[in-house]
Amino acid sequence: MSDGPLIVQSDKTLLLEVDHPLARECRGAIAPFAELERSPEHVHTYRVTPLALWNARAAGHDAEQVVDALVRYSRYPVPNALLVDVADTMDRFGRLTLANDPVHGLVLTTSDRAVLEEVVRSKRVAPMLGARIDEDSVVVHPSERGRLKQALLKIGWPAEDLAGYVDGQAHPIELDQSGWHLRDYQQEAVEGFWAGGSGVVVLPCGAGKTLVGAAAMAEAKATTLILVTNTVAGRQWKRELIARTSLTEEEIGEYSGERKEIRPVTIATYQVITTRRKGEYRHLDLFDAQDWGLIVYDEVHLLPAPIFRLTADLQSRRRLGLTATLVREDGREDDVFSLIGPKRYDAPWRDIEAQGYIAPAECIEVRVSLDDEERMTYAVAEPEERYRIAATAQSKLPVIRRVLERHPDEPSLVIGAYLDQLEELGAALNAPVIQGSTTNKERERLFDAFRTGEIRTLVVSKVANFSIDLPEAAVAVQVSGTFGSRQEEAQRLGRVLRPKADGRQAHFYTVVSRDTLDSEYAAHRQRFLAEQGYAYTIVDAADLAGPGEVNGPGWVDAPAD
Amino acid sequence: MLRRSVVRMATEPATLAAWLRTRSDEQLSALLAARPDVARPAPSDVVALASRLAVPVSVDRALDELDAATLQVLDVVLLEPTDGVPAADLAAALPELPDDVVAAAIETLTTRALLWGDETLRAPDPVRRAVRHPAGLGRFATELRVQLPARLAEVVAELAPEERAVLDRLAGERPVGHLPDSPSDSAGTPARRLLQRGLLARIDALNVELPRELGLLLRGDRPYGAPRLRPEPGVLTRDKGPLDRQAAGAALESVGRISELLTLLEEEPAGLLRSGGVGVRDQKRLARELHVTEPEAAWLLELAYASGLLDVGGPHRDEWLPSRGYDVWREQELPDRWAALAAGWLAGLRLPSLVGQRDVAGKAVNPLSPDLVRHTAPAIRRSTLAVLAEYPAGSGLAPDDLVALLRWRTPRRADRLAPVPAMLAEAGRLGVVVGGVLSTAGRGLLAHGADGAADGMRGLLPEPVDHVLAQPDLSLIAPGPLVSDLADTLAVVADVESSGGATVFRVSEASIRRSLDAGWSAADLHDFFARASRTPVPQALDYLVDDVARQHGRLRVGAIESYVRSDDHGLLSQVLNDKRTGGAELRRLAPGVLISGLGADEVLTVLRTAGYAPAGENPGGAVLTRPPARPRAAGRRPGGEPLPGARPLTPAERGATVREIRAGDAALAARRGEAVRQVPGVTTASTLELLSRAVREGVPVWLGYVDAQGSGSQRVVQPVSLVGGFLQGYDEGRGENRTFAVHRITSVALVEGDDQQAASSGG
Repeated sequence: MSDGPLIVQSDKTLLLEVDHPLARECRGAIAPFAELERSPEHVHTYRVTPLALWNARAAGHDAEQVVDALVRYSRYPVPNALLVDVADTMDRFGRLTLANDPVHGLVLTTSDRAVLEEVVRSKRVAPMLGARIDEDSVVVHPSERGRLKQALLKIGWPAEDLAGYVDGQAHPIELDQSGWHLRDYQQEAVEGFWAGGSGVVVLPCGAGKTLVGAAAMAEAKATTLILVTNTVAGRQWKRELIARTSLTEEEIGEYSGERKEIRPVTIATYQVITTRRKGEYRHLDLFDAQDWGLIVYDEVHLLPAPIFRLTADLQSRRRLGLTATLVREDGREDDVFSLIGPKRYDAPWRDIEAQGYIAPAECIEVRVSLDDEERMTYAVAEPEERYRIAATAQSKLPVIRRVLERHPDEPSLVIGAYLDQLEELGAALNAPVIQGSTTNKERERLFDAFRTGEIRTLVVSKVANFSIDLPEAAVAVQVSGTFGSRQEEAQRLGRVLRPKADGRQAHFYTVVSRDTLDSEYAAHRQRFLAEQGYAYTIVDAADLAGPGEVNGPGWVDAPAD
Repeated sequence: MLRRSVVRMATEPATLAAWLRTRSDEQLSALLAARPDVARPAPSDVVALASRLAVPVSVDRALDELDAATLQVLDVVLLEPTDGVPAADLAAALPELPDDVVAAAIETLTTRALLWGDETLRAPDPVRRAVRHPAGLGRFATELRVQLPARLAEVVAELAPEERAVLDRLAGERPVGHLPDSPSDSAGTPARRLLQRGLLARIDALNVELPRELGLLLRGDRPYGAPRLRPEPGVLTRDKGPLDRQAAGAALESVGRISELLTLLEEEPAGLLRSGGVGVRDQKRLARELHVTEPEAAWLLELAYASGLLDVGGPHRDEWLPSRGYDVWREQELPDRWAALAAGWLAGLRLPSLVGQRDVAGKAVNPLSPDLVRHTAPAIRRSTLAVLAEYPAGSGLAPDDLVALLRWRTPRRADRLAPVPAMLAEAGRLGVVVGGVLSTAGRGLLAHGADGAADGMRGLLPEPVDHVLAQPDLSLIAPGPLVSDLADTLAVVADVESSGGATVFRVSEASIRRSLDAGWSAADLHDFFARASRTPVPQALDYLVDDVARQHGRLRVGAIESYVRSDDHGLLSQVLNDKRTGGAELRRLAPGVLISGLGADEVLTVLRTAGYAPAGENPGGAVLTRPPARPRAAGRRPGGEPLPGARPLTPAERGATVREIRAGDAALAARRGEAVRQVPGVTTASTLELLSRAVREGVPVWLGYVDAQGSGSQRVVQPVSLVGGFLQGYDEGRGENRTFAVHRITSVALVEGDDQQAASSGG
C-alpha cells in the first residue's frame, strides 16, 4: 500500500489531501481528466466524468495515462471496475471523427463500422447527416457541425473534431506590455486555449480575464467579435483593450442598444443579439458581417439559450469562453462544453490569491433576529412572499449600518435584489443607488466618483452583479439575493476580490434573517464559498464587534499565556 | 493379431458381473470411488453391484462427469454394429486423437464400468440407453421408419445448397432439429422438402431426426465427428503486485458497500414479501440510497444474505434485518470481513445473477426470493474456480475460454454452465478473480477457506483510521475505513455523501437535529467534533450545532387524557392545592391550564364531589350542556374506497384459456383404452408400462395431469421419450412440445383408432 495523496471513491470522485507533499504533483496529473468540484481547506474533491475523460482524450491523453495516474497517486487500492470503466469510456472517443474531405466537404468517418451504424440509426442524429459516402463515412452539412457534436456527445459517442478552424480576416493586434506583464497563469491560460483551438478559461473574478481575452486576440491577430453581458461591461472591455493592446478607439466598435458599429473588433451585448422582432432575431447578420477569426464569450455561464443555438453554427471559428465559475443554475454546463469547447484552464481561487493577484477575503454571515412583528408577518405570509419578507426585514438596517461602521474608511458596496429595499437603504445610509433604470451615463459618473473616493458607499442592485470594475471596493454587504444562487455569490464576491493597492483584506458580509428562508439560502451560499476555500464565519448581529472592540476589525488576538 | 484377440475373447468373462469378478480389489475400490452412489448401502455381492451399476440415474451421473474425448471413445464402442470392440482398434478409429488420450479414456471408462472387458470392450445396455445420440448421430432409418433412397450418395450430391446445409447441420453435433414455424408455405422450406424426399424422419409435429446412415455418409472419413481434443486456450498472465492490488480494490469496495447496505437496513428494514425475498420498491430505495444500479443492489443483498449478515427478523418475522452475525462481523478486521463475504459467496446455494429474470409466469424474480436456490451452485462455482487454480499463480483464462474448457470437461452438463459467466463476474466484483486470474486471496479461499482468503488479503487493505478531517464546508472526511465505534457515531451525526477508500460525511441541520433527538447534547457534539477531527473544527460547524440546539425542543409534545382550564388562576391554584381533588391527579402545565391522566368524566366527577362547578368542554372549546354521550367505538367512515375493478384479460391469456378448453374437450372425446390411474406423487409400474408402450409404438396417450401450480388438466400427448421420470411429448391440443413429470400424472390411457384424428384436429 502506498501513501499517496489521493483517495479514489466508488462514485468516481477523487479526494486530494492538499497538505500532502505530493499534492501539487498529483493535481497536475489528474487535472486533465478530472473536474475540480470543491476546494475547501484540507481536502479537494475532483470528479471524473465522461466529458472530462473525453476532453482528456481530445487533449492527447490516453486511458493508460489516466489509469496510471489514479493507481500511482492513490493511497488505497483502486477498484478494478472503476479503472475498466475509465478505459471503456475513453475508448468511446475518437471512434467517430469529423474531418474535411477534399471532395465531399465536412465528413463524419469512423474506425468502427458498428458505431457509425448505431449513430446513423439514432433518431437524434440521423436528421443532421447527409448522404452516405461509403460504409465508413457520411456527409455532414457544415452548418450542422455544432449540433451534431452536441447530439453525438449526448448519445455517448463523442466525435473528434479534426475539421479545424478558419483563420478569419487578418487584423494586426499586439499586446502593449509597457508597465505591466501578463501573469504566469494568464499566459498559461492563453497557451492552453490556443493549443486546444477552442474552449473555456475559468479564472476567479479580478484575476484578469479581460487580459486573457486580449492576449488571445493578440495570438489570433484577426478580426474578433466579443460578446458581453451588458453595455457597461462592453465599455470596460473597450477601455482595457485600448490601454493594453495596439488597438485604437477607431478599431473597436460597440454593437448595443444604443450604437450599432461594426469594426475589426466589435463588442456586442447578449441582449441586443437575442432581441427579437416579430419572432425573428434581428441582429444575426452580425455574425456574418465579418469573417471573424475569434469569438470571445464573456461570462460564459450566463450565455443565454438562443446564443447557444447561434454558436452551434459557428463551429469553424475559434471560440474563447471566459468565466469565473462553470456553475450554471440551469445545469447546461454540458452545452457550454460541447458548443464552445472544453475547459482549457482553471486554477483554484485560493492559489491565485496566494500568489497575491486577488485580494484575500473574509466571508462573514451576520444573523439578525427578526422582531416579533416581523416574525408574525413572515409566519402568515404566502410561501412565494416569504423570502422577500425575510430578506427585506427592517431589522437588517441597523445591522447593515453597524457593519459599515466597522470599516469607516473602506469603499463599500451594499448589494441587494429588491428595489424598494435598496431605495430605503440608500436613503437611510445616505448613499446613491444604482439600479436597472439608472442611465449608463449616470452609472459611469457614480462609478468614477466611487473610484476617486468621493463617494464611500454605493447601494447597487443586481445590475452590478456583472462586469463592473470597481477597483477599490473592499467591503461588500449583501442584503438580499436570488434564492441562494451560487453563481451570483461568486460574482458578488468578485466585486471585492480585485487586489487592493496595499494588499489589505477584503470583507464580504451577508446579512440574513435568522430562522427563515433567508438563512436557508444562506446555507447554500455558505457551502459554495467554503467549497471555494474561503474561511467562513457566522456571527449573531448582537456579537458583531465594532472597530477597536474585542474581535472587531483590527483586533489582534493576544497570544495565549 | 486379430486371431489372438479372438482366442483371448473366448477366455474372457461373458457378463458384466463376471468381468467385475475378475477385477482386482484396487480396481473395484477405484470403481466405488468414481461412482460413490453405487456403494451406499453396500451391495451384497457382485451381481447386486452390477445391477446397481445398471440403475439409469447412476449411469447418467457417471456419464455426466466424463470429458468430451472420453465420451468420444465411448461413442466408438456404442456405434459398433456388434457388441464388443477390441481395445486396440479404438485408437485406429480415432486417428486424430493422440494414443495416450485414447488409452486414458479407456482406463477412465473401464474404471467406472461404463465399458467392460479387458481386450474386447463392451458397453452395458443401460449405458447404450443413456447415450441417446452416440457421436451425435441419429437412429437407423429402419428404427425411424423411413425409407432412404437406394442411391443415397447420388441423391445427396444432387441436393440444392440450402437443403445440403440443413443436412450438414444435422450431421454435426445434434441429429435432431426443429422444423421452422411456417405451416402456410410449409412445402417451401428446405427441411420440409427433405422430409418429403425421405431424407429426414419426423419424430413429432415439430422435430425431425437425421437417419444414421445419412449422417455417416455426410461425415465421410470422420464417422465420429471432429476429434474432441481438449481446448488449449491462450493463457492470461498478470503481475502479482497489480493483480493483488486490484483484488484489494474490489475487496474494499465490496466490504464498504455491504456495510452501507446493512446500515441502511438497520435504519429501515426491507419488507419480506409473502413469496419470500425483497420487494422491488425496497430494492429501488436501496439502490437510490447507495447510488448504485438496481441489479447491483440485488447483488449486495444476495451477498449479505449468503454471508449470513442479513436475515429475516423483526417482531413479526416479516422484515429483512442485519443478523447477529453482522454485529460480530463489523468488529472484525477488514481482511476477515472480506473473507466472510467471499466464503459466503463461494458456498452460497443461490444464483444472484438470476434476480430480475422472468419466471415461467412472466414475473421478474425478486432479490432473496426462494426461487433463486440452485443446489448445484456451490459445485459449479468451485469447479469453475478450480480450473483457474490449476494454472500457476498469476495466470488464468478469459471467461469465454474458461467456459469452452468447462464445456469440454463435462459436455453432458453443458446446460449447467449457463451461470458461469455471471459467477465469474461476481468473483471479479469480490476480488476473488481479477481479469480471469485468481488473486492470491482467491487461491487462499479455494485452498483453505475463509482463513486462507483473509491471509491472502492481509497487508493489502488499509488499516482503520480513528479520526476525520473537518472542513469549512461542513464535510467530514474519513481518510480510510473507520474504526467501528467512530463509524457508528458518525452515522448518527452526519450523512454519508460519498464512499469508497475514504468516506465523506456531511453535517447538516437535519443530521444535528437527529443526534439531538438521539439524546446528544450540544456540548457532547462540540466535544465529539473536537475529539474526532484532526483539523480544527470550523467555526461554522460549531455555530450550526448551537443554532440547531437552540431551537431543538422548543415545541414539546405529550399525551394527556383531559385538562382543566380557567382564566381565574387563583381558582386553579385552589383546585390544585385542595386535598379533596387529589384523586383527579392534576398537575399544572402552564398558567391557566391543569392536566390529568384521567378521563374528562372522572375529573368532572372528582371536582363536582369536591364542591366545584366545572363544565365539560368539547374539543372545539364549546361548553357541553348535555351529559357526555354513551361511549362508542370509533367506527369506520361510511362509503369506503371503491373496490378496484377486475383487470381485463390480455389477448394472450384469452388465447391460452381457449386452447386449454379445446384440449380438455378433445381429450375427453378421445376414445381411449382402459385408463391407468395413480395418486400424484406415486408412480406405479402400470403407468410406466403404458407410457413406455405408447412411446415404443408411437401411439398418442390421454393424460390426466396436475402441473407445478397444482391445477389439473387433461391432454392428449404424442409421446416422444420416457427418460428419468419425465415424459417428453407433443401436446396436440396446445400445439407445443412439453415435458411431463411422471409423478404428476394422475391417469393414462392409450388413445385409440379414429379419435386420434378428432383429437388432433381439435387443436
